[in-house]
Amino acid sequence: MNSSNGNGSMSTASSSGAWDGRDQFPAGLRVLVVDDDPTCLMIFEKMLKTCLYQVTKCNKAETALSVLREHKNGFDIVISDVHMPDMDGFELLKHIDSEMDLPVILISADATKQIVMKGVTYGACDYLIKPVRIETLKNIWQHVVRKKARNTV
Amino acid sequence: MDLVHLQRQLVDYRTSLYHEGFLDEQFTQLQSLQDENNPDFVVEVVSLFFEDSERLLNELSKALEQQIIDFKRMDAQVHQLKGSSSSIGAHRVQKLCIVFRNYCEAQNVEGCLKCLQQVKHEYGIIKTKLESMFQLEQQILNAGGSIPV
Repeated sequence: MNSSNGNGSMSTASSSGAWDGRDQFPAGLRVLVVDDDPTCLMIFEKMLKTCLYQVTKCNKAETALSVLREHKNGFDIVISDVHMPDMDGFELLKHIDSEMDLPVILISADATKQIVMKGVTYGACDYLIKPVRIETLKNIWQHVVRKKARNTV
Repeated sequence: MDLVHLQRQLVDYRTSLYHEGFLDEQFTQLQSLQDENNPDFVVEVVSLFFEDSERLLNELSKALEQQIIDFKRMDAQVHQLKGSSSSIGAHRVQKLCIVFRNYCEAQNVEGCLKCLQQVKHEYGIIKTKLESMFQLEQQILNAGGSIPV
């Protein structure tokens, strides 16, 4: 298992649960990133921290699921690679969808229309193709806001 | 060699790596992530890439030596190599992985063997080139200079 956030612990900045941004928005966005590839995971972590997000990283889907279950309302968004041994991104997405109300972004080096379609129909709020640029990650807060807006309607 | 010379040599070397298609703009993204708080970020990520790639290439070699070849597992490994090489901007390695995956899908042993050799070859080249580039950077730093962007 390999998960850590910027402070070296699992706790998030806001103990009240919901992140409400305000002045620093979207700084402090609580992101869980999952990828079994150590190179990609290291790059994502750096990019997300550069975006001033609070990052927790996991190299396994099962670990990510445990983390999410143990810290209900501890995260704003999940970014997960699709192809991972044991549990893949699609299965993780299904679990998250049924148990929690979190936006999930899928990432893959695979760009075939079929797989992107699968991601979208499974309920991913976005599907990104590797290599991911930092500019793309700077915009992920929109998915969090959009989901919150839909839920309050 | 004096500092200015070293710096010019580095810039020329780096430019040639892009021009010859060894590196693409994703490598530039990595460099832009490096700052005073993480001055060794690029070296660290690239070292991780080398370690992981060598592991994958070894596993692919072993897989192709088996009586019964597990193409599905090989495809997953090549897919991972494609993802990591694209993430650091190792352009030629990434492109070869695409071809390699096609051979895996077609369960073409000859094609896979040939591709593996090519990937190993290209990987060896980019590893040597990046290590040379890091050495040049270190020489510049040791001489009290800064790395030109």
